[in-house]
Amino acid sequence: MGLSAWLTRYAAARPRPLVVTAPHATRLRLLAEAELARRGWRGARSPAGADLLVVCGTPAAALSRAVEVVWTDVPAPRTLVELRGDPRPELVTTALDGAVDRLADVRSQRLDAAGRAGARDGRHGPAQPYDEHDGEHDDGEHHAEHGRHGEQGGQEHHGGHGGQHDQHSEHGGHGRHGEQGGQEHHGGHGGQHDRHGGHGHHMGNPGGVPMAERGRDRDGLTLDRLHVPLGPVLSDWPAGLVVETVLQGDVIQQARVEVAGGLGTERFWDAPWLAALEGRRVTRGEAARRGAASRLDSVGRLLAVAGWGGAATEARRLRDRLLWERRDEGVPEEFAGFARRVRRSWLLHWMLRGLGTPGLSPGRSRPGRDGVAARLDAWLDETGRALNALDDGSPLDDDAGPRGPVGDRPSEALLSALPGLLTGTELAAARLVVAGLDPDLDQVRPAREASHA
Amino acid sequence: MGEATPLWAPIALLGALCALGLAAAVLDAVLSGLPTASHPGDAVESPLRSGPLSAAGDPFREAARLLVQQRRRTSLADTLLVRVGVCGLLVVAVLAGVVLPLGDRPVADLAAGVVWFNAMEVGAWGALWLTGWGANSVYPLVGGYRFLAQGMAYELPHMFALITAALGAGSLRVGDVVAAQRGLWFAVWMPVAFAVYLVSALAMAFWGPMRGPVGPDIAGGVRAELSGPDRLLFQAGRHLLLAVVAAAAVPLFLGGGAGPLLPPWLWTSLKTAAVLALLVWSGRGLPTVRMDRFMWLSWLVLIPAALAQLLVVAVVVG
Amino acid sequence: MEPWAAVLGLLGVLAAGVLAVYAASFLLAPSDTLEAGPFLSGARPREHALSRFHVRWYTVTLLFLAFDMEMVFMYPWALVVAEVGVSAVVEMFAFLGLLMVGVVHAWREGALRWA
Repeated sequence: MGLSAWLTRYAAARPRPLVVTAPHATRLRLLAEAELARRGWRGARSPAGADLLVVCGTPAAALSRAVEVVWTDVPAPRTLVELRGDPRPELVTTALDGAVDRLADVRSQRLDAAGRAGARDGRHGPAQPYDEHDGEHDDGEHHAEHGRHGEQGGQEHHGGHGGQHDQHSEHGGHGRHGEQGGQEHHGGHGGQHDRHGGHGHHMGNPGGVPMAERGRDRDGLTLDRLHVPLGPVLSDWPAGLVVETVLQGDVIQQARVEVAGGLGTERFWDAPWLAALEGRRVTRGEAARRGAASRLDSVGRLLAVAGWGGAATEARRLRDRLLWERRDEGVPEEFAGFARRVRRSWLLHWMLRGLGTPGLSPGRSRPGRDGVAARLDAWLDETGRALNALDDGSPLDDDAGPRGPVGDRPSEALLSALPGLLTGTELAAARLVVAGLDPDLDQVRPAREASHA
Repeated sequence: MGEATPLWAPIALLGALCALGLAAAVLDAVLSGLPTASHPGDAVESPLRSGPLSAAGDPFREAARLLVQQRRRTSLADTLLVRVGVCGLLVVAVLAGVVLPLGDRPVADLAAGVVWFNAMEVGAWGALWLTGWGANSVYPLVGGYRFLAQGMAYELPHMFALITAALGAGSLRVGDVVAAQRGLWFAVWMPVAFAVYLVSALAMAFWGPMRGPVGPDIAGGVRAELSGPDRLLFQAGRHLLLAVVAAAAVPLFLGGGAGPLLPPWLWTSLKTAAVLALLVWSGRGLPTVRMDRFMWLSWLVLIPAALAQLLVVAVVVG
Repeated sequence: MEPWAAVLGLLGVLAAGVLAVYAASFLLAPSDTLEAGPFLSGARPREHALSRFHVRWYTVTLLFLAFDMEMVFMYPWALVVAEVGVSAVVEMFAFLGLLMVGVVHAWREGALRWA
């Protein structure tokens, strides 16, 4: 036990974080990413590889259920950090320091592990439950419990749950039912996805989950189809975006965009322009700084999805320097070198070529004006221009935010374009297309959220 | 079969491979921390902020974390298949290494050593696919299939590169290939074969630009559901595989242990470390090659190029 | 030590190492296994992941097998090129040329097209 405790404490000093961000929590995400980079903690890609779950912002119902599911799947030792409210660097620092302490707390980690392993029979909540404390985003149902019950399909799980749970277990293996409960049941579900066939398979479903159904693929063959949501919990992915896909193999046959919202109204990237529109005095330099950081954030995400870790780190480092450290000396020069390296990478351009251009088959088309490669190029251009205007003290009088006119909420148009661009792409290409558009879900109106969430 | 193998040789091979694999892991961790090196502490101070060199301890901490981690199983996973795959990766890496000379002699000096090396490393296909299939999860499955596609793309250029070196020496014995480079390294007069070998080596160890099967875009791919000892051994196997393919470049293309002043084993180590460092760097310095593009590149560029190189060598030899 | 014995010994040491890792985990980690769902970005699966992938692998596999069989001839060929001389080179590369024609044909037919 002594050795185990020592190893636990030794490992706890550098956790592997998985970061989830709710819409309207961009500022918190950026603070968290900057702090994680400073500590050199390498991010995890999936719950199995993580021991620290960082939730930025206040997720609304759908996102909060997704977080709960992921949190349930993280093996002990594990700890949860919820960054909410006042977005100050101290908040992040303290929270992450606390996470290290909790990871090193051998006794409570053991209890957590023991409590959860027992949950297979009893389905009790985890010892360190994901805490949906403020009831404001809880629409009255017990999502957390709920999701687990429905999903593990449990003819075995009748006992002890409320009527609602029983009702859901009648659906047998129909996992999403239990989990999506309540307001998530809008019309689009069954119709588009044709998954009603799964209902009747109570007996033949190992583990309460049916086998894949079949549909025709590109080659005209009838093949298995899997329903795989991309997002909301996915690294290097726009906060709150959910793309419900139907996969055959690794090719997306159908895609539908949903939004897993968050509480709040802040639109961090558009803030200077919005403030100027409201008549407050904002300098062009301030807006240029925000705009450059926003594009660097997009570039960093695209490069990370493209697998170019070194360049992604550079982009994010420049972004953090602009936003938080505000020590601009050397930033334009460093950026120029960075942009040159990215532009010169024939490998990167070869990988991006032909992606995200509607109507042209991927891989064969010439780079289009609005393809992923062209957008990367434009981001780099705009960043370079913005960096020259950091000291401009004249008042801001336009509405040209980083993603276009802030009043138009350009990300809504990006979301509508997404399904068309994704259909027929392989997963790697799809990830690059999404990162290349990089919609900012802070811009998406709650109205849209309600109809799609 | 060659002469008797000394008792220390297997232990030395395993030790050398583990040391190289660990060195690769440490180097990778340090490289990943590098761009943040000149990080001025701003608003808040925390004792946990650290320089890039503290990242050197990351592989050890990760190992410790995985050893004390609660075991985890995805629902209805085929744990046996996953374990066969995970351990298989280690086995193929080590078996491929037995024909590589440690200094002047390998653990097993086989007459068809090059073929043996090739045959063993192909086992990684099965290992990775079993690991991906067993988890009953989409991302590992996609990763496993990606590796099969990658395998069918890299394997032929790889074999042509190997056969080019063997052709240059007129022998499939690794020792003879080394001996044939007394005058001139094969890397110098077969540069295309050497380049193709390096690309295929990365693909085989699914590292760097070829990390698609464990790519970040599919949540870690094959290893997305691995945790605890399984993940630890998988990572170890991947690093051993990388160490072996880097080590094989030395006898095949870089003159083996030949070099002035220093003893052969030291030259072998130095050259291996250099190749390994290059391969590890590619993990940070290059974007991931998408499988569909690599398929095209491999069949229409790498294979013809490797064949052209083979023709040149065949004309010189024949 | 005979080479085969050395290889067996090597495997033995490796097996011991692997067992040691599992034993260490058994002793050091909590004894309870966590039954988790597969990672689906926070959703639960609607069906099992094990599924038939599309056909593209099989066309490439056929292409691959043609070359792979050719490698069976190539390994011994590499040993005798120096003795046999020009005729060996001509014969082998005529063969390879034919195979490459096949590759180009397959490429034109879309066998290497992925998505």
